[in-house]
Amino acid sequence: MRRRHIWVVIAAYNEVGVIARVVVEVRRCGYMVLLIDDGSTDATAATAEKAGAVVIRHPVNLGQGAALQTGIEYALREGADVIVTFDADGQHRVADIDVLIDAMAKHNVDFVFGSRVLGGAINLPPTRRLLLKAATWFTRITSGLSVTDTHNGLRAMTQRGAGAIRLRQNRMAHASEFLNQVSASRLKYIEVPVTIEYSAYSLAKGQKLGNSLSILVDLSAQSLHR
Amino acid sequence: MIAQLILTILLGGILLYAWTEYRRAPVIGVLAMLAALAGLYFVWIPDHASRLAALVGIGRGVDLILYLWVAISLIVVLNLHLKLRAQMEVITVLAREIAIANARSAASPK
Repeated sequence: MRRRHIWVVIAAYNEVGVIARVVVEVRRCGYMVLLIDDGSTDATAATAEKAGAVVIRHPVNLGQGAALQTGIEYALREGADVIVTFDADGQHRVADIDVLIDAMAKHNVDFVFGSRVLGGAINLPPTRRLLLKAATWFTRITSGLSVTDTHNGLRAMTQRGAGAIRLRQNRMAHASEFLNQVSASRLKYIEVPVTIEYSAYSLAKGQKLGNSLSILVDLSAQSLHR
Repeated sequence: MIAQLILTILLGGILLYAWTEYRRAPVIGVLAMLAALAGLYFVWIPDHASRLAALVGIGRGVDLILYLWVAISLIVVLNLHLKLRAQMEVITVLAREIAIANARSAASPK
């Protein structure tokens, strides 16, 4: 598979401090980089474009879930064979993209999820570890998927897999919604070990306990209306 | 009697509201319908309201009706919340289309 048909989708909001490094590193591996600037008020979009990303700008801030769905739809329109979602804050390792792509080809699956439980999580605080465990427990029950790391932003999907995804959760609940839709699609998936390295920056931008309550409210509200 | 008529009209309005909302949010529709029907029942048979109120420790039947009214109000508020969410989904779709329409294709020359 040619790497220019593999699109790495990055949702970013006010990430001017780290985005150039992330885009350059991914571009260096030969992948297409699609950056969805989610209404940033800083120079994230311009910086990413200069670093070599295709940039799409949301006119207003909508949330990471909305940005990823925009990226998936645009990449599909551009003829992407594989779409990889990748966090903007620099906590993922670019080398892990290859791990996902290789596993996809080897096991002939439509979705590959990165797992920090199978791999590693460097500098992950104990409270965050507990939060992730609770989220994984909850999502395993609601989605019925036997995965070990439900809120990992590093995942790959084939064109067919991406076509089965339609995220309606604009904010952080999209990670659970994504797995629910994978489950509903009945397409094959696999988890592979990846490493996430937390920095003070990524921890400050990451999920808090309050976010997890919002996720529960969002998921419950969605189940009440069509 | 006048109070009964006024409450009947209001609860009838809630029933209509529940009916119109049922297709979009079935849970809300059913809850609002049940609460309104219970309200109508107790408005016209207040003895049963008093008996049920005493049974569940509320005190007076009129208080039970008041509590039902509060429950209906909460259901309506929840429904408004869901409507706002639905509007947000529409806004998201519009914003997405604008963003994609304004994007330069990766294949097109910059």
